[in-house]
Amino acid sequence: MIRIEKLTKLYQMGDSVVRALDGVDLHIRKGEFVSITGASGSGKSTMMHLIGCLDRPTSGAYLLDNQRVDQLSDRRLARIRSTYIGFVFQTFNLLNRTSALENVAVPLIYARRGGVRAHARSSLERVGLSKRAHHKPSELSGGERQRVAIARALVNNPPLLLADEPTGNLDSRTGEQILELFHELHREGVTIVLVTHEMAVAAQAQRVVRMKDGVIIEDRQVDEAYKQELLADRLKGERGGGAVAGKV
Amino acid sequence: MFIVQIFMMAIRGLRANLLRSLLATLGVIIGVGAVISAMSILEGTQRDIVNRFESLGSETITIYPATAKSGGRSVGMYQTLVVEDADALADPRICPSIAAASAEVSGMASIKNLGRNTEATVLGTNSSYADMYSYRVAEGRFLTRDDVASEQKVVVLGHKVAEDLFGHAPALNRTVKIMSVSFRVIGIMERKGNIGFRNVDSQVMVPVTTAMNRLFGIRFLHAIAVKAVSPSQVETAMAEIKRELRRRHNINIRAGKEDDFMIFSQEEQRRQVSEVTTIFEIVLYSIAGISLVVGGIGIMNIMLVSVTERTREIGVRMAVGAQRWDILRQFLIEAGIISLLGGGFGVAVGFMMTDLLEKTTRVIETYTAPGVIVYALIMAILTGLFSGIYPAYKASRLDPVEALRYE
Repeated sequence: MIRIEKLTKLYQMGDSVVRALDGVDLHIRKGEFVSITGASGSGKSTMMHLIGCLDRPTSGAYLLDNQRVDQLSDRRLARIRSTYIGFVFQTFNLLNRTSALENVAVPLIYARRGGVRAHARSSLERVGLSKRAHHKPSELSGGERQRVAIARALVNNPPLLLADEPTGNLDSRTGEQILELFHELHREGVTIVLVTHEMAVAAQAQRVVRMKDGVIIEDRQVDEAYKQELLADRLKGERGGGAVAGKV
Repeated sequence: MFIVQIFMMAIRGLRANLLRSLLATLGVIIGVGAVISAMSILEGTQRDIVNRFESLGSETITIYPATAKSGGRSVGMYQTLVVEDADALADPRICPSIAAASAEVSGMASIKNLGRNTEATVLGTNSSYADMYSYRVAEGRFLTRDDVASEQKVVVLGHKVAEDLFGHAPALNRTVKIMSVSFRVIGIMERKGNIGFRNVDSQVMVPVTTAMNRLFGIRFLHAIAVKAVSPSQVETAMAEIKRELRRRHNINIRAGKEDDFMIFSQEEQRRQVSEVTTIFEIVLYSIAGISLVVGGIGIMNIMLVSVTERTREIGVRMAVGAQRWDILRQFLIEAGIISLLGGGFGVAVGFMMTDLLEKTTRVIETYTAPGVIVYALIMAILTGLFSGIYPAYKASRLDPVEALRYE
């Protein structure tokens, strides 16, 4: 599904060049549920932007479904975001004065698909929110808002769901419910890449990729022992100042 | 279907900040209102002028005294035009292309009937005047040759003057005082409105000789109005006038003398007036244009604020699959809707302003042609799109990553 080879991303910050990603290799198979984790500045956000086709790498290759996408035009990238990728953000990013249903419908409009209302409705149903279809985001709880955002991410049936700190703005119980929803979607065959700095959240995935200073320092399947390790937060030393809340 | 959705999305965008959208609309409303009223005034004035000229008839020629010059400086009008000139021009043996000529002197005077009095134009003229403009008496008779020849103190009242002085009481054969001179009313004219640039309903007519000698104390005419036998004979008639007046006034052009009179055909007068209205046109169009530009700047300003404020929203839209073109189009449509709404309300405001102007000034004639509305709406939409282009372009060029990060 995702094949990343020697991916590098440089940023010019004033006089100095920042290596946000430094020759990263990563393969993610179809149907996997992968967490990318690391401290602030580890490169995980850059990784997410590149995987999400919001940005282009400085060098290296990115193949999505065996298709080179690292140097496509803005237009082609938008097309890929529209058909291949669903985004879920920490701050939900819903359109405020617009109903849940209409929020969910936005990607359908940009994908120029017909049957907008029906598709949007069934997507809301998929996240268990059909009864709240006509409520505005301000009338919904945090968990409900994130569900609307997930419904929006899924409405075009993308094979890949990219979630950036999806539980960051939710209390732990609601966060668990959202993660449970991810598990369900995963069981339905959606490939999920979850970016988070919280080890306990990362531990929910099948596989955890840990990053630091623009490189992958650990990439392993989550077995029971590792999960306990992550949940117990015994990796504290390496988390550093990672618990910066509110960062997108 | 797709277009409808894009359109609905723009409406939602505008509704999300209603007050701001309305403020942006306001500039266009004023601009379009200004365009509509400016064009209505212009069109109305032009129609009015055309009507006035038509009331004169295209075969009318007017003779005025020329400006006398001494050492290159103007020293007033020549005082050479006399009643006998008009009589000569009217003589078919002398000027075969001329059907009639009326000598004219005029001035404002107060006219009294016992307790009532009114201000009116007193026109001293001769018997041809009424026929020349198909102006009919409603009661009594018009001035005759004898009245003029014997300097009678008789007066024919315009419709409104008669009403002001006598109300519904009979006026015929009653006496009125014009500048303290008693005149006998011999006729009352029909209601006519304008002949040329004069409202003849508020005018009274007396023999030209009486007016010169007993009222104004002058020995020369202000003008002679001439009617050619047919519109095609106007040129010939003008040549006859020149020849005859030069002969009568002893002007030898070959000896380097200048004419002491000016002749204007209907067409020339029309041309002169249209020069004046062209200036009006330029001024009014500029004002209307400037207000549209100001309206456009308003839209641009507000759209720019809107783009900045909605940076994150734009990032999200891009993330969920919007092309740059989708973003550009959305903001353009928003600008278009603002200007279309502004245009719609502007048309209504324009109508109201036009109506108000006509009613309060009572002088300005207006006419709103249907084409003007279409034109104003098109101008409004173009203004909106034009001022929306830059903000929309700016929005579409945002970097999705940066936009998503924007707080």
